[in-house]
Amino acid sequence: MKKTITRLLVALGLLGAAGGAIAAGAAIPIERWPSDRATNFGSLQNGARLFANYCMGCHSANLVRWNRLEQIGLDERQIREFLIFGNQKVGDPLRIAMSPAEAKVWFGKSPPDLSVITRARTSFDFKGTDYIYTLLRGYYRDNSTPTGWNNIAYPNIGMPHIFWDRQGAREATLVSTHRHVDLKTGHAGFVQTTTVYDVNGNATKTETELKDPANESFAYTFKPVDPQQSRQFDADAADVVAFLAFITDPSQSTRQRIGVWVLVFLALFAVVAWRLNSVYWKNIK
Amino acid sequence: MAEYKTPYAGVAGWFDQRMPTAMAEYRKHLSEYYAPKNFNIWYIFGGLAITVLAIQIITGIFLVMNYKPDAALAFASVEYIMRDVPGGWFIRYMHSTGASFFFIVVYLHMFRGLMYGSYRAPRELVWIFGCLIFLCLMGEAFFGYLLPWGQMSYWGAQVIVNLFGAIPLIGPDLAIFIRGDYVIGDATLNRFFAFHVIAIPLVLIGLVAAHVLALHDVGSNNPDGVEIKKKLDANGRPVDGIPFHPYYTVHDIFWLAIFLMIFFFVVFFAPEMGGYFLEWNNFIPADSLATPSHIAPVWYFTPFYSILRATTEQFMVVLAVGTIALSALLLLTVRNPIVRGGIAVGTLVLLLGYFTLDAKFWGVVLMGASVMIFLGLPWLDQSPAKSMRYRPTWHFWLLIAWVVAFVVLGYFGTQPPSQAGQYISMIGTVIYFAFFALMPWWSRMGSFKPVPDRVTFKPH
Amino acid sequence: MSTPTSVPAGELPAGVDKERRNAIAVAAAVGGAGAVAMAVPFVASFAPSERAKAAGAPVEFDVGGMAPGEMKTVEWRGLPVWVLRRTPEMLQSIKKVDGEVADPKSQRTQYPTPEYAQNEFRSRKPEYLIAVGICTHLGCSPAGPFAPNQNSQLGADQGFLCPCHGSTFDLAGRVFKNKPAPDNLPVPPHKYLSDTLVLIGDDSNA
Repeated sequence: MKKTITRLLVALGLLGAAGGAIAAGAAIPIERWPSDRATNFGSLQNGARLFANYCMGCHSANLVRWNRLEQIGLDERQIREFLIFGNQKVGDPLRIAMSPAEAKVWFGKSPPDLSVITRARTSFDFKGTDYIYTLLRGYYRDNSTPTGWNNIAYPNIGMPHIFWDRQGAREATLVSTHRHVDLKTGHAGFVQTTTVYDVNGNATKTETELKDPANESFAYTFKPVDPQQSRQFDADAADVVAFLAFITDPSQSTRQRIGVWVLVFLALFAVVAWRLNSVYWKNIK
Repeated sequence: MAEYKTPYAGVAGWFDQRMPTAMAEYRKHLSEYYAPKNFNIWYIFGGLAITVLAIQIITGIFLVMNYKPDAALAFASVEYIMRDVPGGWFIRYMHSTGASFFFIVVYLHMFRGLMYGSYRAPRELVWIFGCLIFLCLMGEAFFGYLLPWGQMSYWGAQVIVNLFGAIPLIGPDLAIFIRGDYVIGDATLNRFFAFHVIAIPLVLIGLVAAHVLALHDVGSNNPDGVEIKKKLDANGRPVDGIPFHPYYTVHDIFWLAIFLMIFFFVVFFAPEMGGYFLEWNNFIPADSLATPSHIAPVWYFTPFYSILRATTEQFMVVLAVGTIALSALLLLTVRNPIVRGGIAVGTLVLLLGYFTLDAKFWGVVLMGASVMIFLGLPWLDQSPAKSMRYRPTWHFWLLIAWVVAFVVLGYFGTQPPSQAGQYISMIGTVIYFAFFALMPWWSRMGSFKPVPDRVTFKPH
Repeated sequence: MSTPTSVPAGELPAGVDKERRNAIAVAAAVGGAGAVAMAVPFVASFAPSERAKAAGAPVEFDVGGMAPGEMKTVEWRGLPVWVLRRTPEMLQSIKKVDGEVADPKSQRTQYPTPEYAQNEFRSRKPEYLIAVGICTHLGCSPAGPFAPNQNSQLGADQGFLCPCHGSTFDLAGRVFKNKPAPDNLPVPPHKYLSDTLVLIGDDSNA
């Protein structure tokens, strides 16, 4: 029992350490991913293209085969011409050249395989699709990190902002409200820290002591230099997430389609079985 | 005895002449097994449990055709089944849904027993076999859960095997022996695979057969708790009995259709069930170096897990008080001086143990006791009426309170530890055990309604 | 054991039997259909998976670098596929043994020869033989190609010899008469993607 509690505390501690700028208790606001794109072939194909061109530099999807993409409206020729780099065949899995061991040395953490990522990143608090949508669009320049980028959904993330050229430059304002105990005076109160990161990653921090107690919270806003470009990127990010959701569960659309028929049939069978039952039981007094 | 002469003709006759057991057993267990005619909806769950067992075995066989019980290959092989094997996703979802539905059905089946006193004499052995089936089922689920080799698989197994490490003296060595290694690894996966695929299923099938045969030997109970064999007609058949086949076969077929609608709704539209049937963390391959922030057992184990977690240093005081109270009651009730002596000594030993051995150990003990205590029901329940229908209404509400405690314990078992959760789980644990421990007394109290000698039945 | 009994028919009101029978028939029909439908994915799971299909995918081979008389072996679906660049002299030898081979026009259907190989040289391009190098007797891989009088079993004929039970094949893969092997060497589906690039395992839209 103690060991379990210790383990849980250690895990929580690690999570807290990884929390970085986030105070314990403040949840990151996770934005909803526009899920209507999930079944749009255009979005899925755009997502596939972005995935192959950007993500596959570091992330494999070893459990997915190239020809699975025929399910999102591409044919073999298109997959081979536009998506597969190198001499992989269309029945091959989405492998990459980088080895996980090397990646761990370069980035500190091995970029995970993305085959089942939207399910893996789901929790009881938020969906994996929402989380990844927030993450892909949550980067801001930060000179204090090794990559020069930070992320509101995953503080001190080792992954650089791959899509920086598509999103364009933005200014970020992070507002964090947390409890603060002054170690010298022992006075406990709430402090609101506002950090502004400009487009070059320089941070300007202001702290205000709040007179009244408040809830621990974290909020952020982005100010893009080119709002149109940023909005276009939002659509691209949604498409990438749609594609990731597809490769996580490619049988979903088939499953739901067949499911309707199965339930219709079973309803019919239930009626038939009910008649059979009644025919026998009406003789029991 | 005169040599048997088959009454059947043709091929059936040829077979029956050489193996009359076949048709004899069919008659004994189906066409001439007289079951009470007043079974209600609570009586469908036994047949449904056998159905789910069959589903699990058949889907399991097909899964094993493509699954690789190797730590390096297992996770990918499950996704291989989901993606590359034709129809594989359907087989996998049926198996994962079936695992959860097995417990839903079995819990409802056991609840029926609690409601109608199905465990009372002469059916104690039926109940004992049933409890053993429940234990095997928990083991089967536990061993099976390691096989996908996800984060929850790995860490759940790690925590539970470490529970055995809590046993004084032999614990740590026992844990290594169970694992076959110093940590959960390939050796553990392979042996758990053997247990899950063949060892426990064989035991389960044997126990289910024993369970049904023991039941058929004494005859089924019913919602009124009336023994139908007490009133026989001129042919020696119970007047309130009807042949299981065809009446309950067609009855069960209808409810099977309803059950399958619910089952396949989940399979096709909600196989993850919000992360309760297929846990999200299990889509991350097992990593011995990274513990997930929130480990919880699968939902069907959570009530018992809650009891384990509730047993802290603080709780030992509550446990001590409860033990003393129970002893006092026993000492007031029991006459025999030797037994009284034993009770006194036992209580003192327990109290000593509570405050010398780790609370962690007692947590394991209580968790085990929370499952094993079901075995005691035939003797704990001293009510003059078998069925809740003829007991004082407050008995029913006590049972409901216990069910609520069970569900609430289950809920908090899914949540990360919290102060509120800790207190509520402690209260739930007290209710859980008090229900059983005090049953010899409360089950005798109150005003009982007269039990009829014929079943109550509304023709339909 | 009890002797068989049945619920006496007299206990049931008239017409119930027929009603029960109809209800059973309908339930059995619908239930049976459901059972068959349920079985479909299970039976389907036996079929080759995507992994097996990917491993058995067609293989490309470039015949451009082959010297006259050279033979190369390409693996396709675990089978050794021979690619033999035949010289004009080798092609002549094939014509000569028309009367000595068991199935000169490749008409047997056990291993059907594709229509584009049902010709004199059993190939799309006469110069290149493409055949599965497995003896049609019991599955050994024959040795060869042997030149005239290079092998005692073949004698003056050119071709292949299976070492297991002595079956011989000519340079078009046709089995000689009175040999244990009943069939000519199978010609796998194939097509040329260009003058020199052959795709073994796929002959669609050729």
